[in-house]
Amino acid sequence: MTIEIRNISKSYGPSLVLRNVDLKINSGELVALLGPSGSGKTTLLRVIAGMEQADAGSGPVLFDGVDVSGVDLGKRRIGFVFQHYALFKHMSVFENIAFGLRAKPRRERPDEAHIQEKVHSLLDLIQLRNLAHRFPSQLSGGQRQRVALARALAVEPRVLLLDEPFGALDATVRRELRRWLRRLHDTIHVTTIFVTHDQEEALEVSDRVAVMNAGRIEQLASPQEVYEKPANAFVFKFLGNYNLFHGRSGGGSFVRPHDIKIFRNAESAGPDAQPGMVTHIGFGGPVVKVELESDDKTHVDVELPAQAFHDLNLRRGEKVWFALRGQHEFPLDYSI
Amino acid sequence: MAGAPIAKVVSRTGSARPAPPANPLIRRILILLAVAFLTIFIVVPLVNVFVQALSKGVEGYVAVFHPPEAPEGATLTILQKRHFGEGAAQATRTWNSIGMTLSVAAVVLPLNILFGLAAAWATTKFHFRGRTLLTSLIDLPFSVSPVVAGLVFVLLLGRNGIFGDWATHLTWPDVFSLHWIGFANGPWPFAFGRSFTGVIFTPLAIVLASIFVTFPFVARSLTPLMESLGSDEEMAALSLGASGWRTFFKITLPNVKWALLYGVILCAARAFGEFGAVSVVSGHIDANDTMPLRIEKLWNEYNNQAAFTVASVLALLAVVTLVAKTLIDWKTQGNERTSEGVSDA
Repeated sequence: MTIEIRNISKSYGPSLVLRNVDLKINSGELVALLGPSGSGKTTLLRVIAGMEQADAGSGPVLFDGVDVSGVDLGKRRIGFVFQHYALFKHMSVFENIAFGLRAKPRRERPDEAHIQEKVHSLLDLIQLRNLAHRFPSQLSGGQRQRVALARALAVEPRVLLLDEPFGALDATVRRELRRWLRRLHDTIHVTTIFVTHDQEEALEVSDRVAVMNAGRIEQLASPQEVYEKPANAFVFKFLGNYNLFHGRSGGGSFVRPHDIKIFRNAESAGPDAQPGMVTHIGFGGPVVKVELESDDKTHVDVELPAQAFHDLNLRRGEKVWFALRGQHEFPLDYSI
Repeated sequence: MAGAPIAKVVSRTGSARPAPPANPLIRRILILLAVAFLTIFIVVPLVNVFVQALSKGVEGYVAVFHPPEAPEGATLTILQKRHFGEGAAQATRTWNSIGMTLSVAAVVLPLNILFGLAAAWATTKFHFRGRTLLTSLIDLPFSVSPVVAGLVFVLLLGRNGIFGDWATHLTWPDVFSLHWIGFANGPWPFAFGRSFTGVIFTPLAIVLASIFVTFPFVARSLTPLMESLGSDEEMAALSLGASGWRTFFKITLPNVKWALLYGVILCAARAFGEFGAVSVVSGHIDANDTMPLRIEKLWNEYNNQAAFTVASVLALLAVVTLVAKTLIDWKTQGNERTSEGVSDA
């Protein structure tokens, strides 16, 4: 199902959380809403879900071209997954998943045999079949979130909305679960929007990323495009570490730490290289973080693959040459 | 708990209990002080209630409720006749006061459950202008003297009150006089046999005064819990297509049931025991006596043993509520312990 929102604004009292947002999502797409906290990404998701009402004067929320802005949350046929799972504490895993089926009006409600069948197939999907009779308090965080997802999927939603779905999990479970989500999406192809503040997560999982800042969508593009061709300084800064060199025209030249190459001597470095001194070396597993100070006292962060670092055999206080490879020029009117 | 029994899966490694103070002497003094205070102000008076109530033995205790009847066929002097007649009349009044207390509570509790749920729901799940003001207004009865609360109703609804003209002519049926009249007069087969006129100095005023002094309890015990629960679970239920009622009965109510029961018990305890507000609006009419009012009248008639006997019934009710409250505390703490969850392995 396609989702299109036009000119949505939302304010809480005097503070404007969403400013004239437009967004179009294709059928079967997995889109990440990525942004820092307070950028309005969760509010946008809740407006799409129908949990929040957009301000008067906003445009429509269209599901498959039909305006649903006046339709109740329960009638939009969305599946919503909360950061803190919001599982029904006093119900077993089975009853949690069956809740949406049992809540259907009598005419549409499947009989008990169909409910059993449906819930068991969802339990298989989330690989928790043997935990059907556990209570949410007896599950780990990752298991709880999978149950929450199965519960949302039970009513066969037209769109799946996930609000920081992995935000409360620890790093390993997070990575595992987001790959699982990607695989799940490839199997069921339901249009999915998920909110996250984790760049890595958004870039790894989604088909397209909407980078949000201060109530606006700064860029909506594929992960590769937002990373390689960021629309502005905010997007560039938000997607990773960077060095900022002030250009002659008053603009800024942004360079990722891994886009800087270090040389032992000027001959091999080439004509654009600058001299610098190694001030700090930090080991971080596969990458080594080297801090340089250029002749004009500018601090430069460099990330080297561990192998390259070994080959260079750098020591603190040594004189080296560094050259910038990928540079992005932006006017300097943005701040994080 | 419905469904499968919950195994306690959590092993609490780092117990959060604070270390006892280093000096055992200080600890002992503090414990002694607390025990002494409780003994002087609660245990001794409570024991005294029962000692006084039983001062004429078990027979004397029972006689307050079932006075001895005149022996069959015996000839009695006028004085003896009066004695037996008086005893029977006193017992009837005592029974009436017990009935009044229980029926007032039976009306007050459901109303306060509805009010408390609505108030807690409104102040925790919605954000609106004046929310803080509403929250403090709910606490008002705690800070107003009950006598003043009773007087407020007299000044509003009494003969010279602001709504006095309307209130003194209000006629309302006695719910306990509802009886079967058959279908001769139409499709509704019940009718009221008696009715009251006016509000002040009738049981209605007692109900109003009791509602006023007890309404914070349910709302107060629900609010902190509902605040901490947030509305994600309700939102989840609604997004799954559940109706508002289904969401309330299947999700909200099970989540708050213990807090609700706790509030109801506190509310009941207060409704049983309220004296000041009820005394002002009862007009000291015997038919309006609740148990605390009845105790005062017996005391004023120098019938100490009977006064303490009725008081002992009230004290027993208090003990029952205390036990129920403790059970709920224990139960909800047990729930918390099991809902902490396991970490990701």
